Amino acid sequence: MTDTKTWARVKSPWVLHFNSGACNGCDIEIVALLTPKYDVERFGIKLEPSPRHADVLLVTGCVTQQCAERLKRVYDQMPQPKFVVAIGACACSGGVFAGNYNTLGGVDKVIPVTAYIPGCPPRPEAIIDGVVKLLNAINPPKQKKAVEA
Amino acid sequence: MASNIDMISLLQSKFGEKIQIQPGVSGTASIVANNGLHHDVLAEMIAADEKTGIVAMTGLDFGQTLGVYYHVRTAKPFFTIKAEVPKADPKIRSVVDIHPGARFHELEVTDLFGVVFVGNEYDGHFVLSENWPDGVYPLRKDVDPTKVKLVPTPEREANLPAEGRQVKIIIGPQHPALLEPEKFSVTVDGETVTKVEPRIGYVHRGIEKSTESRTYLQDIYLVERVCGICNPAHAYGFVGAVEKILKPDVPERARYLRVIALELNRLHSHLLVLGHAGLEIGYETVFQYFWRDREPIMDLIELTSGNRVYGSLITVGGVRRDITAEQIPKIKSVLNDLRGKIPFYRKIYLDEPTIRLRMKEVGILSREDALKLSVVGPIARGSGVDIDVRKDIPYEAYGEIPFKEIVYPDGDVWARMNVRMDEVEESLNILDYALDHLPSGPIRVDVARSVPVGEAVCSLEAPRGELFYFVKSNGTDMPERVKIRTPTFANIPSFLKTAIGESIADIPSNFVSLDPCFSCTDR
Repeated sequence: MTDTKTWARVKSPWVLHFNSGACNGCDIEIVALLTPKYDVERFGIKLEPSPRHADVLLVTGCVTQQCAERLKRVYDQMPQPKFVVAIGACACSGGVFAGNYNTLGGVDKVIPVTAYIPGCPPRPEAIIDGVVKLLNAINPPKQKKAVEA
Repeated sequence: MASNIDMISLLQSKFGEKIQIQPGVSGTASIVANNGLHHDVLAEMIAADEKTGIVAMTGLDFGQTLGVYYHVRTAKPFFTIKAEVPKADPKIRSVVDIHPGARFHELEVTDLFGVVFVGNEYDGHFVLSENWPDGVYPLRKDVDPTKVKLVPTPEREANLPAEGRQVKIIIGPQHPALLEPEKFSVTVDGETVTKVEPRIGYVHRGIEKSTESRTYLQDIYLVERVCGICNPAHAYGFVGAVEKILKPDVPERARYLRVIALELNRLHSHLLVLGHAGLEIGYETVFQYFWRDREPIMDLIELTSGNRVYGSLITVGGVRRDITAEQIPKIKSVLNDLRGKIPFYRKIYLDEPTIRLRMKEVGILSREDALKLSVVGPIARGSGVDIDVRKDIPYEAYGEIPFKEIVYPDGDVWARMNVRMDEVEESLNILDYALDHLPSGPIRVDVARSVPVGEAVCSLEAPRGELFYFVKSNGTDMPERVKIRTPTFANIPSFLKTAIGESIADIPSNFVSLDPCFSCTDR
């Protein structure tokens, strides 16, 4: 049964996007993932509007004071097991806005983060790579036995 | 239409010695009007020229006093009305009664500087977060806002029935229709919207304050990150203002390369919103088509600037990267491919029944209201107001490049989207012309790291409308004050007006027609 659940999760992860104070650079690249050139739906990845249906939370932005509480609330609404991917330099560490009066600097100040994708903004290919690495970490691909010579 | 000379002599004859007028470069002038005279001066200007509008308001900290600068646009030149209030009792008369478009500008100065506008008071915070302590104004010089300790507090409002049949529906901050966190409380009676209250500030990062502790060169990279969509426009706004103080001799080739960067940016931004509008009205095919054709433009931006999004091409004194002779045919062939697709897209936006049903006669903004609220860009041009900074105050090479100013008189969502559709084609023409007439020579001159004492404004036509920068320097290598007024900030009041009386189902299509960008709005 656990195997089936993992299989379903890895084959079709539903992702939720939350902007915690980003400049739109990363956000537009996430939307670009859904469009014909990158088309992440071929990996079964589906952008989902409700946190209650999502497996993976994609967070962009440096986490402003005003967004922090809401980010935590969105995370709490997601069912277990849940994974958080911090996308972009701001989400990883606060980026260029680190130390400003209204920012907390990094998603991991508020909620636990599973994977970090750096870049300002990361290229769509980098985001795909990050998400696929996350999926491989959830369900490691079986190693083929080495054929003895 | 009053010309610049008329306006200055008119004000002089009216107010005489009570105000001081200092003429600036190319028709601009600053008018010092203290003791409540700013209100009368503005009223006089509005009476003389219907296109008078407040572009931005800058708060400044002079130590003992607080300054309020009203940056006023008339048919052509810029004026700055300067007023000062004592820090101990910062009260000044509001101008909302004669110019409703000033409301948000005043609230922002109240929140960040603590100036009280009599006649436009506000309870709570406007851009700062809910848990920000009262009485601490982060942009004042004597405040170190990083020392302010904050504890995140829960938001107060909930979905509660208002009076009688009216129900309050809260859209945001996390909502499928919004890419960005922002909250709108919509009161509805049945399905008819009766009131819209925005709460901005979810993306407020304090960029204006942090520019003051970085050098001019570092600031270019910082202000670009105000917005991930129109970043070359932000870079140019800042650089343009600094260059007005420094006065470097920017090479001719760099002026054309800047136009190419700005137009490529407009192209990708317009394609983005034309597609996004399709998504908001449930017409996903349009979204996929436009975004498919946006990708080759992103490749061109990468080719010319080195990165898909943040190219950081524009710098003080010129540009950082040249376009080689081998690249030009490649760029032109991509632009030609897009040009071939325009008639098909134009047909969709002009005639397609789905588009017409959801966009025609939705969110109508009359010409009078557009002027009163001083909206900018495609929203103003969709309501028949012919303002385009590229035509009105040509900057860089725009004065030498022929192009049409697109104006639709209808004032509805459909008109605003068709303004953008036509501008895509104009952008292609501008790019073709600029590539054909690219002058030879250097692309950059060396400039001093420190900027002499002075202040300058720079306004330009970003994809979403007029973007405004104000830079005040103090002789060091860091600016004293940088003010950024973004197009969406100026356009939100028009949405609050047009949404009322319409169906709640029309909110997405009305809203997306502003091409809203909250990272710009909040900074």
